[in-house]
Amino acid sequence: MTGRRRLGLVAAAATLLAAAPLSAIFESWTWIAQCVLTVALIEGAAMATRTFRFPTWAQALSMTLALVLALTWLFPSGKEIIIPTPDTLSHFADLVRQAGEDTRSYGVPVPDRDGLLFVAVLGVGSVVIVVDLLTAVFRRPALAGLPMLAIYSIPVAVYLDSVPAIPFVIGAAGFLWLLVADNVDRVRRFGRRFTGDGRDVDVWEPSPLAAAGRRIGVVGVLVAVVVPLGVPTVTGGLLTQLTQSNSGPGGNSGTGTGRINLFASLSGQLNQNATVPLLKVTTDEPEPFYLRFAIADVLTENGFGHEAPRGRALALGLPDPRRAAATRNADYTEYRAELEITKDLQQNMAPVYTYPTVVDGLEGPWAYDEKQQVLYSNRFTTRDQKYTFTYMRAKYSPRLLQQAAPLPADDPLRAAYTATPGDATVDATVKRLITGKSSDYDKVRAIYNWFSKDNGFRYSLSATTTGKASEIAEFLTNKAGYCQQYAAAMAWMVRAAGVPARVAFGFTRGSQTGPGTYSITNRNAHAWTEVYFQGFGWVPFDATPSTGVTGSARGASNWAPDVDRPAPTASASADTGEPGPDSSADPGAANGENRANADGGPDADTGTVTEQTDWTALWIAAGVALILALLLIPALRRVLVRKRRHAATAPAAPTVLAAEGATDLTVTAESGQAREDAHAAWDELIDSMIDFRVPVDPTETPRITTQRLIRDLSLDGEPADAATLLGTAEERARYARTPLQGAELTAALRRIRSGMSAAASARTRLRAALLPPSVLLSWRLGLAEWSTRTAERLTGIRESLTRFNPRRLLSRSR
Amino acid sequence: MTTPTWGEPSGPLTSAEFRAAAQAIMANIEQVIEGKSATVRLALAVLIAEGHLLIEDVPGVGKTKLAKALARSIDCSVRRIQFTPDLLPSDVTGVSVYNQETRDFEFKPGAVFANLVVGDEINRASPKTQSALLECMEERQVTVDGTTYELQAPFMVVATQNPIEMEGTYPLPEAQRDRFTARIAMGYPDPRAELAMLSGHGDHDPLNDLRAVADAAMVRRLIETARAVHAADAVQQYAIALVTATREAPEIRLGASPRSTLQLIRTAKAVAALEGRDYVLPDDLQALAVPVLAHRIIPTSDAQLNRRTTDAIVSEIVHRLPLPHARNPYDTRDGRASYESRGR
Repeated sequence: MTGRRRLGLVAAAATLLAAAPLSAIFESWTWIAQCVLTVALIEGAAMATRTFRFPTWAQALSMTLALVLALTWLFPSGKEIIIPTPDTLSHFADLVRQAGEDTRSYGVPVPDRDGLLFVAVLGVGSVVIVVDLLTAVFRRPALAGLPMLAIYSIPVAVYLDSVPAIPFVIGAAGFLWLLVADNVDRVRRFGRRFTGDGRDVDVWEPSPLAAAGRRIGVVGVLVAVVVPLGVPTVTGGLLTQLTQSNSGPGGNSGTGTGRINLFASLSGQLNQNATVPLLKVTTDEPEPFYLRFAIADVLTENGFGHEAPRGRALALGLPDPRRAAATRNADYTEYRAELEITKDLQQNMAPVYTYPTVVDGLEGPWAYDEKQQVLYSNRFTTRDQKYTFTYMRAKYSPRLLQQAAPLPADDPLRAAYTATPGDATVDATVKRLITGKSSDYDKVRAIYNWFSKDNGFRYSLSATTTGKASEIAEFLTNKAGYCQQYAAAMAWMVRAAGVPARVAFGFTRGSQTGPGTYSITNRNAHAWTEVYFQGFGWVPFDATPSTGVTGSARGASNWAPDVDRPAPTASASADTGEPGPDSSADPGAANGENRANADGGPDADTGTVTEQTDWTALWIAAGVALILALLLIPALRRVLVRKRRHAATAPAAPTVLAAEGATDLTVTAESGQAREDAHAAWDELIDSMIDFRVPVDPTETPRITTQRLIRDLSLDGEPADAATLLGTAEERARYARTPLQGAELTAALRRIRSGMSAAASARTRLRAALLPPSVLLSWRLGLAEWSTRTAERLTGIRESLTRFNPRRLLSRSR
Repeated sequence: MTTPTWGEPSGPLTSAEFRAAAQAIMANIEQVIEGKSATVRLALAVLIAEGHLLIEDVPGVGKTKLAKALARSIDCSVRRIQFTPDLLPSDVTGVSVYNQETRDFEFKPGAVFANLVVGDEINRASPKTQSALLECMEERQVTVDGTTYELQAPFMVVATQNPIEMEGTYPLPEAQRDRFTARIAMGYPDPRAELAMLSGHGDHDPLNDLRAVADAAMVRRLIETARAVHAADAVQQYAIALVTATREAPEIRLGASPRSTLQLIRTAKAVAALEGRDYVLPDDLQALAVPVLAHRIIPTSDAQLNRRTTDAIVSEIVHRLPLPHARNPYDTRDGRASYESRGR
């Protein structure tokens, strides 16, 4: 077996090893079987073509064909027999589209979806082709690391924080194997290898000389591992991960134990690249409000924090809000909901609708904190839980809320929930907003209404914050943020107005998948504000603009209508409509809007999909246009150069021919110009010759060149005269005392170009027009010269570094 | 045919005058040597370049006839030396003879004291005699018994030799060969020229009918005019590059001398003037490289074993060597950047 073929095999095996990180993405191992099959086919094709000594392009072509065939066999559309047909290709396109959808709808690890498997096999196959060509044909195995790294980048992109390390080690081993195989092959070309004592060294045995290299490698790795350990700021590395106990895939397990930052968890989920389905809820309530699992009620300099919930076990029963004095005044309806949580939502607080009365099916001991209205467990998590619960949906009428008496100032609840760190901006804003408002509800509505588009607020997920109090205050001036800023800012402002408030965490409605069934993903994580009204309990206010929140239920509440929507007329009031003085919102209309909103979930999604395909088409068109434009650059450059030269050679003024034998040695401006013109014309002629594939010989004089041109292209008449004229002009410009002046060089150039074009084949003509070889040649030579110069400079630097010897400095100082 | 005016004041000729005079001489010679205008032109160019000519070819192709026709066309002193093995150096340079009347040694000038010296079968003389020509050819003077005698201007040695016959000949030493500006071969005439020769030479020798069409003064003015021909820097560099290439070529043991560079440019100037140009072209150098350089170089024994003639080696160098500052599309030098040094 020749070295080249062996290298091809190693390249294929190394690529398969490098594909190991994909194991973190797929649930099963189907992909690897398919990849191995495809890679084997491709490498077989490569070896066959190499055996018959086919040229490089034929090797690449055969490998591509093998890839297409393998894909056809692995993912048949059902209409083809072995050979792919147009149907197959459209099937492939469908698969790619399906893969795109799957990446949006599935979290890692994904099941064996055809689309995803297709993309994986296609990717690995393409990488094998590139790696094989780079290694076995171009002998640049180091470059082959790039496509192999591309495979590794896929799990890195999917997993935000933790990437399995073992597959990377496997992939890196494959790459190193490739490098070693290539170097061994290189050394073997010199002949057999020997040890120092004359023993023959086997092919795969490392060279004895490599011992020093190994020692250096070991020391380097040790240093690389030990040094970061000593630096405290370096975190998130392999060791940190290994030492962390509760790390797991999904990155959303942070809500597990101890005091955690709910805000950080929220922004983490919203900013995650992948969409991970978390839970599914079915309810008989027509317009459910948000699912809720935690609150943050302690506002300090560090922002909102929460206390660990404390309460009674579920088994002891849940309170009924209708009977409690604190919540009696609201209007309650009983509903029933069923929740199914996937394994990706792993936390010890169970999402429920507010005021659950009966909870069934929760595995393990769970407890309910009445104050926080949070269902929690100290040991069990929600992972894979499925439970049903009955709950009371509270409806508040603005009129009644308005009549709610403010809490007395010495009430412990008021004292606990109106504490703020104090901020001049916030206080001033609140004071301005609530001036003239008497009731708590009016104050709260004034603050709530202030978070509107009209006041410059907008939704932006890119606002990164740590949730610190100062940043919440800052939000009031920069006015760009997402739910966490809106909820925290409003809670703070309501507190500043003397009304108890806190931040609630949960999920929006998500996207409706069936009647009463909603699917909720990590993207639906949400936060909103709860305000306490005496006799009503905690009333939710969602100040976040509904535009940025999928499944927002902002419009569903007539006590807190969507301030960004045009207020509908209050005439058509339906069931519960009690148009209060401040509420112009019509519940029916609000419900209608809300339905549109909820139904709009999937609609909006399909809208995004079509929009995306439109965009894709546009991108492709733009890409094609860009490629075309790039391809046209040489032609454009050629035209510009010709234009410049023509401008140089166009006769400026009619001048007489210089007298022959003139002995005047002074070079006048005109003669200098004439000389430049002749050179420009000659350069143009030479470039034209290169363009039209007429050989250019640097040993020829202008005279001989033109003679050959006339003879070879059998020019006659005007083109021949033009060639002679150009030759004479250049000859005199180079060698005579006085150049030829006033000659019609531009016209001559045109004539000779047309003559050359007439003598050339159609293909040559097309190439000369579209991809002028002269421009390409000059670019190639320029690039070659630049790289040579760079290489020389680098060599110089390396040599000076090699010569640098610290010992010499020591001895000098001594 | 223009007859130059006698006693005209010397000075450079105009282009037209130069051409007329040169054409007259060439036409005159071509009455005798048919179909060899390139050789005749080269011979005249060597004369105008103040050089010496070595005509080397097989017997009977008109070597001596060319030399004699050139001599006859110019009205100046002509001497002919038949080089024989017993020829002595003093026969060439001259000898001091004791004059009994004046009771003193008197210098009897040898054969070289003429404007044109035709040396026939130069390789038949002994090296000793051949060496007698060294001083006069290069320095245009003769030193006998400590006295130096200037030779007349113009002074040209036209020597012939037979490369085939080796028996009883002494090959010219390198120093001697280097003094010849150019070596030309006559070559066989084509059939038509040979036919014309038969009809022309049938009854009488046309050489006898030749009349001089120029004189020594005219030749001096021709020489002066040719000297003024412009050789651009690029051309001079090309000449140097050509000569340097012969020194560096792996097939050559001894390359061309700096003198050959000078003579190459001079001859090129003469050729350019003959073609009516006042500037030298690299084409001239390319055309002259073989006649001017080939006889001076010594190929390595390998090249000799491979039967590589010096002519072939030199012409290969010509075809291999790029022109100075010519835009080479296969080189990394940018064409535009080299213009500053191109041209004059």
